[in-house]
Amino acid sequence: MLSRTAENLYWTSRYLERADSIARLLEVAYRISLIPNTQEGYNNEWESILATSGIKQDYLTSYKEIKKEKIEFFLLFETDNFSSVKNCIEKSRDNIKMVRTAVTLEVWNAVNTLYYRYQEYVNKKYSSKELPEIIELIKRQVNLIKGTILNTQLLNDGFDFLTLGNYFERADFTARIIDVKYFILLPSSSFVGSQVDNFQWSLMLRSVSSYRAFKWAYGNSEIDYIKIIDFLILNSQCPRSLFFSVEKINHHLTRLKKIYGEKTASLTKINMLYKTLKSSTVTQILDEGLHDFLSKFIKDISSVYQSVEKKYFMTSQ
Amino acid sequence: MLFSSMFNEVMEGSLVRKPYNKVFNWAEALPKNIILQKQIQAENLFKKIGVTFSVYNNYDVSERLIPFDMFPRILSAAEWSKIKKGIYQRSLAINAFLTDIYNSAEILKAQILPEELIYNNPAYDIRMVGFKVPKNIYSPIIGTDIVRTDQKDFKVLEDNCRTPSGVSYMIENREIMMRMFPELFESLKIETVENYPSYLLDILRSLAPSKCKKDPNIVILTPGPLNSAYYEHSFLADMMGIELVQGTDLFVDSNITYMKTTQGARRVDIIYRRVDDEYLDPLYYRSDSLLGVPGIINSYKTGNVNICSAPGAGIADDKAIYTFMPEIIKFYLAEEPVLKNIKTWRCFNKKELQYVIHNLKDLVVKEVHGSGGYGMLIGSSASKKEILKFKNKIISNPNNFIAQPILKLSTVPIFSKNRLAQRHVDLRPFSLIGHKKFKLVSGALTRVALKKNSLIVNSSQGGGVKDTWVLSE
Repeated sequence: MLSRTAENLYWTSRYLERADSIARLLEVAYRISLIPNTQEGYNNEWESILATSGIKQDYLTSYKEIKKEKIEFFLLFETDNFSSVKNCIEKSRDNIKMVRTAVTLEVWNAVNTLYYRYQEYVNKKYSSKELPEIIELIKRQVNLIKGTILNTQLLNDGFDFLTLGNYFERADFTARIIDVKYFILLPSSSFVGSQVDNFQWSLMLRSVSSYRAFKWAYGNSEIDYIKIIDFLILNSQCPRSLFFSVEKINHHLTRLKKIYGEKTASLTKINMLYKTLKSSTVTQILDEGLHDFLSKFIKDISSVYQSVEKKYFMTSQ
Repeated sequence: MLFSSMFNEVMEGSLVRKPYNKVFNWAEALPKNIILQKQIQAENLFKKIGVTFSVYNNYDVSERLIPFDMFPRILSAAEWSKIKKGIYQRSLAINAFLTDIYNSAEILKAQILPEELIYNNPAYDIRMVGFKVPKNIYSPIIGTDIVRTDQKDFKVLEDNCRTPSGVSYMIENREIMMRMFPELFESLKIETVENYPSYLLDILRSLAPSKCKKDPNIVILTPGPLNSAYYEHSFLADMMGIELVQGTDLFVDSNITYMKTTQGARRVDIIYRRVDDEYLDPLYYRSDSLLGVPGIINSYKTGNVNICSAPGAGIADDKAIYTFMPEIIKFYLAEEPVLKNIKTWRCFNKKELQYVIHNLKDLVVKEVHGSGGYGMLIGSSASKKEILKFKNKIISNPNNFIAQPILKLSTVPIFSKNRLAQRHVDLRPFSLIGHKKFKLVSGALTRVALKKNSLIVNSSQGGGVKDTWVLSE
């Protein structure tokens, strides 16, 4: 497969996953705005959304104040915001357009449909009232695309690159969102077990679409930070956990090794990360320091990506 | 200008011409609401498949759908057979001509055409002189623009030897018509066009470079997704099952051309390039260009890779050379041209220049190296001021212009708001010539001027397309 084809496939799904993540973040924020008397949590949530996507500074330069509608617009439609959903969808489509021949017609149609449906909103004035239907559109279409990939793509090396883009993005995004909110997860004497804690924790789970999943995994027992950290970082069943993404990346890099018959630095690196996570416990992570653990994780994942880039995308040639 | 003076391809007086019998009745009987519904359906299909072309302005690149009209253009088997004969003859002559002018230049020695027309021509690539192109095929893919002016005559308006586009529309138009009106295809015997990609692959495969000993690795080289014909490039790569590469996907090492793959470098043998000459190799042409592959011309000249069409092949579709095409055919093939040229005045000839500047009102004047309907004057629809301005342009550089009569392009109806309306059309078949092989699918792209009375069919200037049917009997 052409290196650029592999790279385009990778970024097609990486940008899609990012668009989806942002839509899910906005969904949480929307939910908060429906709950009365949560002024403080509300502002916190908006700020952490900006911080997670790493665009707080950009936002503040262009808009000065934290304001719901403006943030929504900034995240959904702002051209100057590199990771706005609009830009993600356009970049995803640009990438897949370059490799039309490497995906099925159905996958292309699904991506193209998302683009055209979203353009309808891009082309008109944004109204906050439309937020729920826009979020719904993004989530539904992205799920449709992912399902179409699973159902129609040949399970060859192209499929591996498509999937890798998805999980590199998710690993990075989930790690960042936990990092931004790690203070919520840490025990604080005055708040432990209080209403505030429960509320914050549930928001945290919702922002990675894992609230219900958490309930299934841990039953009706009391929510506490140990369980949440375990769930979002180490749980092998939670599709949003760091471990899950690492396992997927490991799986697909192993497949590539088998297809191409060549051992790579990226596989060695992800293997190490996989083994470390597999044998880790929440206590160890907390001893190391949650923030330090996450920073290291983000760095490690990025280093794996660099090896993938060098080997398969041949960008340095 | 009145439509009555044009050749109407469908009607002969009050009678419907034979090839159109069934279709005309079908079109007349289509209820208005069905037409509308089908038009929307067609547009959605095009959108869904992603058949778009890019339009440029100063700020942005936007994607447009090319307007598609559902009333088919139909040619009888006899009409097509003449066109095919004529195109075959032309593509043989064009390749013989290119081989000659880049080697011994017999045609100049015989004084068939003036030397300066070749040697002073910017499309003549002096670096190609003496290089032996694989199998002497410089231009394997030729799009011939043909117009019909009366019942019996098809005339060639232009030969496109560089990177003619539009073949994907020919195939997609058919796909869409078959999906929307299967009943028409059941009742009429219409030749298929879907074998074009396999013909193209077959032709390219026959043009492997001298140092290629195995089954050649063939790729299509595209300028990238911003190019207006990008859809076509990816469509063809897909249908042929070969890689679509950009300049950055290729590199040259020790005169061998490679493409970067996830499994390392892989040797490339034949490049069907859809980029212009000057963007092939920055070491050879434009050092300021980021497009292109450094060293690829050396790889080509050492017989390690073939580039189709050959650099410098474009001189054969130069409008000044075009005027000599009947002589060129006679010189190399000792045959009379099957397809006639349009009467053309060459402004570099003093006598002809005089005629042109005194008759601008009745002429179409074109720049010799222009394309796409840009930089031309249509005398009948230009203002006095425009004509005067153009006159000065011609006088200051007569070599740069040719003139032709304002053509009475034939008409075919389109579905318009008030039912069927006559519009002007042209025809572009895509012929393929390889090593001892000639292939032409029985079909072509019909371009149609959507504006009433307009003679400009180019998609960049508001033209549309039609499915083109060749009847098998």
